[in-house]
Amino acid sequence: MPEARSSVPLSVTINGQDWSGEVAVETTLLELIRERMQLTGTKRSCESEVCGACTVLIDGQPISSCSYLAFEANGKQVLTVEGLANGDQLHPLQEAFVRNVGAQCGYCTPGQLMAAYALLQVNPKPTYQEAAEWMSGNICRCGCYPAILRSILEAAEAS
Amino acid sequence: MGLNAFKLIEPATVHEAAAELGRLGEQARAYAGGVSLLPLMRQGLVQTDYLVDLKHLPGVDDVEWDGLRLRIGAAVTHRRLETDPNVREYLPLLAEAERHVGNVRVRAQGTIGGNLCMADPHADPATPLLIHEATVSLASVSGPREVALDDFLRGDFETALDPGEVLLAVQAEPLPEGWRSAFQRLEHSYYPTANAAAAVHVQDGRIGAVRLAAGCIGPRPRRLRELEAHLEGLSPTDAAKLILEGHAHFFESLEPVSDLLGSAEYKLHVTRTLLARALEQACA
Repeated sequence: MPEARSSVPLSVTINGQDWSGEVAVETTLLELIRERMQLTGTKRSCESEVCGACTVLIDGQPISSCSYLAFEANGKQVLTVEGLANGDQLHPLQEAFVRNVGAQCGYCTPGQLMAAYALLQVNPKPTYQEAAEWMSGNICRCGCYPAILRSILEAAEAS
Repeated sequence: MGLNAFKLIEPATVHEAAAELGRLGEQARAYAGGVSLLPLMRQGLVQTDYLVDLKHLPGVDDVEWDGLRLRIGAAVTHRRLETDPNVREYLPLLAEAERHVGNVRVRAQGTIGGNLCMADPHADPATPLLIHEATVSLASVSGPREVALDDFLRGDFETALDPGEVLLAVQAEPLPEGWRSAFQRLEHSYYPTANAAAAVHVQDGRIGAVRLAAGCIGPRPRRLRELEAHLEGLSPTDAAKLILEGHAHFFESLEPVSDLLGSAEYKLHVTRTLLARALEQACA
């Protein structure tokens, strides 16, 4: 009979760094990232996979870290907004967001950036329509969508 | 808000998974992607002591063509179904519907098996699968069985899955040679209000054979077989007119309900429109 476990050992690569520890099976990836790893760029918001504020990448795929159990990341690469810049050098997407004012309050921005990063990994030169469809799962209540889309297309053009 | 504590069971064989689910009964839930289950657990709508993770069972990640049917493992994600070359070649109608499921994060995490077992009426994959006469492979400690998806779906959040039974795969046949298909939907914040799928074989400007399915407006998606029979022999234009203006009893099996997404009357109107558009698109 298979064992029933309350906690499991976890080894992940987070923004290029190895991390290991024991996690309770009910721990979400969002809780692990924010509370144990102290990486607070990733935001908690709707907690129902609708808003996209908690978007991080698992092996390049965007997921809602609020509704993804941390143990599922075992052996995988996790990328959060803290992993986008190279030292003091912002990622071209981040630079484009700054240039175009692709944020007002900024709460959704980490998720917007990670979703956009994931898009450019699978589709380096998206059309406006393709980018809009991909990004439709990331809500900006300030309504910065035009600037966000422009930023993504500019970053795609620059790379 | 955190999730309540539970214990994780990761069976390696179908027999172990079915035995554990049978033994634990209401205390346990089958778990795959978690996109539906985890929010329900957080909201307190589902309380469970154990999650039985089905993602380690053999074959559940595979998409396999056997020469007649495409077999899709239960843990295959929506994103894979949207992009997989075999799905796009043999079941393009399903690939098109999968493109609209939730958002890109839900598609990366959510699985076809979880989607069908949850039986949320506001879902897209089952509607095209009914056009493809799909079946589901189930297994319990007493052995496997294969059930038509049409019989598996019972009602809103209700399926023919027995306690101690797991869904391992869905099988679907491509459309016959010369058929074409189309999928249409209307959504409100990711959540489909109504969807419709049509597949048709046009011969000499007339409908030789046709399959229609619609979902989301009532407890479960349905094939509209009586309406299909009435469309045979008509021109595509006359067929679309019959869908839009024909007698309401053709759509009775959909059992449309009024809710926040609209009145039953409105939803039926939308469904007729989507079906007519899907048919015209498939005929074009």
